[in-house]
Amino acid sequence: MNTYQPSYQGTVTKYVFVESPHTTPDDLASLAYEISDRAMIKETCFGLQITGDEKDVADIIRQLRTRDPAHIFVKDRGFPPGDPRRCRANLGGARPGYFGHEFEMGIIKRISQGILNLDEREEGKVAKPPVIRPDTGIDVAQLATLMKKEVP
Amino acid sequence: MTKIFIYPTTSLILSDMVARFGHTPIGSALAIRERIQTAGIDSPPLQMTPEDAKKGLRWAAVEVPSGVRGRMSLYGPQLEEAEAAIIITDAEFAFGCMGCARTNELLVYLIKKKKIPILELRYPADEVEGNEFVAAIRDFLRDLGEEHD
Amino acid sequence: MTEQKVRIAQLSCGPEYSGVQKEINDAAAAVDAEIFFPDLTLRDIKRNFHDYGIDVRSADLKLAIARAVALVEGDVEADAVFIATCFRCAEAAIVRNELRHYIHENSPLPVVSYSFTERTTSGTLLTRMEALTTIARRRALLARERQTGITMGIDSGSATTKAVIMQDNEIIGTGWVPTTEVLQSAQEVRDHALQEAGLLMKDIEAIGATGYGRFLVGEEFGADLIQEELTVNSKGAVFLADCQKGPSTVIDIGGMDNKAISVQDGIPGTFTMGGICAGASGRFLEMTAKRLGVDITELGPLAMRGMGSDVPMNSYCIVFGTQSLVNALAQGHSKENVAAAACHSVAEQVYEQQLQEVDIKDPVIMVGGTSLIAGLVRAMGDLLQTDIVVPRYSQYIGSVGSALLSSGFIRKEQ
Repeated sequence: MNTYQPSYQGTVTKYVFVESPHTTPDDLASLAYEISDRAMIKETCFGLQITGDEKDVADIIRQLRTRDPAHIFVKDRGFPPGDPRRCRANLGGARPGYFGHEFEMGIIKRISQGILNLDEREEGKVAKPPVIRPDTGIDVAQLATLMKKEVP
Repeated sequence: MTKIFIYPTTSLILSDMVARFGHTPIGSALAIRERIQTAGIDSPPLQMTPEDAKKGLRWAAVEVPSGVRGRMSLYGPQLEEAEAAIIITDAEFAFGCMGCARTNELLVYLIKKKKIPILELRYPADEVEGNEFVAAIRDFLRDLGEEHD
Repeated sequence: MTEQKVRIAQLSCGPEYSGVQKEINDAAAAVDAEIFFPDLTLRDIKRNFHDYGIDVRSADLKLAIARAVALVEGDVEADAVFIATCFRCAEAAIVRNELRHYIHENSPLPVVSYSFTERTTSGTLLTRMEALTTIARRRALLARERQTGITMGIDSGSATTKAVIMQDNEIIGTGWVPTTEVLQSAQEVRDHALQEAGLLMKDIEAIGATGYGRFLVGEEFGADLIQEELTVNSKGAVFLADCQKGPSTVIDIGGMDNKAISVQDGIPGTFTMGGICAGASGRFLEMTAKRLGVDITELGPLAMRGMGSDVPMNSYCIVFGTQSLVNALAQGHSKENVAAAACHSVAEQVYEQQLQEVDIKDPVIMVGGTSLIAGLVRAMGDLLQTDIVVPRYSQYIGSVGSALLSSGFIRKEQ
């Protein structure tokens, strides 16, 4: 049984996704390099991965977000960047988490729009989030109304 | 800052929303990171060993498949820390850590059993729903903040 | 020149979270194969999953289904397929079985499936991986239908060690002993087979070794072929039963584990190896014989004279099975009926635990030492509702298969 010695101990890695008409992954990378200091930046097709001390990474992300707040999305990653255990070249196919990102990135424009519209939202307006309603039968009051309509 | 358990535990959108509105998202990535950064027996890819499935016995009985128990060893300790949760109810295409429906059923039940504030919603189907989705999450998190103040 | 690695596509749900993915990778690496995960886009996953038509909830099973479709449709290339899901998951068991049938019926890819627990080790998986890679890598060798020259096959099994010497497609010498010390037992059967054949070691042109002790015995005897028993037994069975073309099913109830193999043209397509409890193996019948005070060779004829249906017996677990045995005798059931019930119980365990996982196609050939227990063969035939074929020399199946295949290694001397 082999023993395992981790690398990058004590660091955090975050994915930074960008899906924007104003900012490309390249733009984001240039900015990240400028402000990265000690953190490690890895460019990807969807944006970046940033690895480093938790506080350093948080500072970089705070600054990156100001660039295009409604179109930049951030998430923790368990693995350091380029880890062979998650690499497509070694697995033959994408890691399972990739498809989940692919799915959410497919609807991310609706989220961006939602963020942009927050500022104009009427103060105190109660949000009606989309939900899946359980089939609990028809409301009694509604049923009564329907019956009155049917029977003159 | 409140610790918010996110479901799907791998969700980019929820992870981002929670952090964006000033709270701490907890989910798969943190649990995997903990294993990836801990020395031990070499067990790629996730550094999960048969011990994890045994640890999972705390949340699921021995006749429950090992994959469920292993996954519960990731989430169980996080559930204990969680102060609130956001659940997306139509997470049908989240794989890996979220890839087992039996684990997910147990997980959602255990979140609800905990009696913490929960926001349940589904993915927005259009722009209008997107507005409400984001606003609902912001308001839910803001109200939590006020409760904690 | 080194052989190219056999590329095994993994379709799975749960191994990473059970801590057994490394065991799968290690088993593959031990037979010079590599595991890979067929690459798809989310759109392919959704489409393939939808088209396949089984509406499961677990996303990783959806992914496995989509990958299976991609393999069958040729969108992704592989040499073999390994399907693995958690033991005790009903949803996964349904998908695992359906995918195995689907791949077997719609592609030439060899496929093996396994339900793991957190205790699964690479050792458990090794024989399956070895069979999978052999089928992928050695189709030419497995196509051999005639034995040529003078060859020897040694089967170092967990319960017994067997040897066979063949010359020009005929068996001319045999040896059989209960396995004690692996090498010593192998030497004994070799010497016996040589004596019967009237030959010396120098006359033997090629040697094949199989069974649990194959590596040790193979190395000691300088074997040309060291091969797991799944492929070897398939070849041996269709050779002895004279049905080398077309489909067949091979059942080998062994001393330690059981094999059920769905064979096409002598090459295993799908197979299962079981062995959760000795209650479903020859070991239980050996215990039964001992308890009834008869030799194992007498158990079969005894069972043939009995009716097992009146005797409650369930050997799902060998301890409970033994308990039923003792109870049945205490209740005054006849030895004949108890023997018949024990045979039925073993057959039933194999039927329920393993035969559900392969496609049963006639002829069904029973091989291995237990195939000589007529009561067991009858019980299996009753369950499968077919006449089971037990060819001559069926107890030497591994040795015959090894001797046959090893003749492919004889170098033509000038």
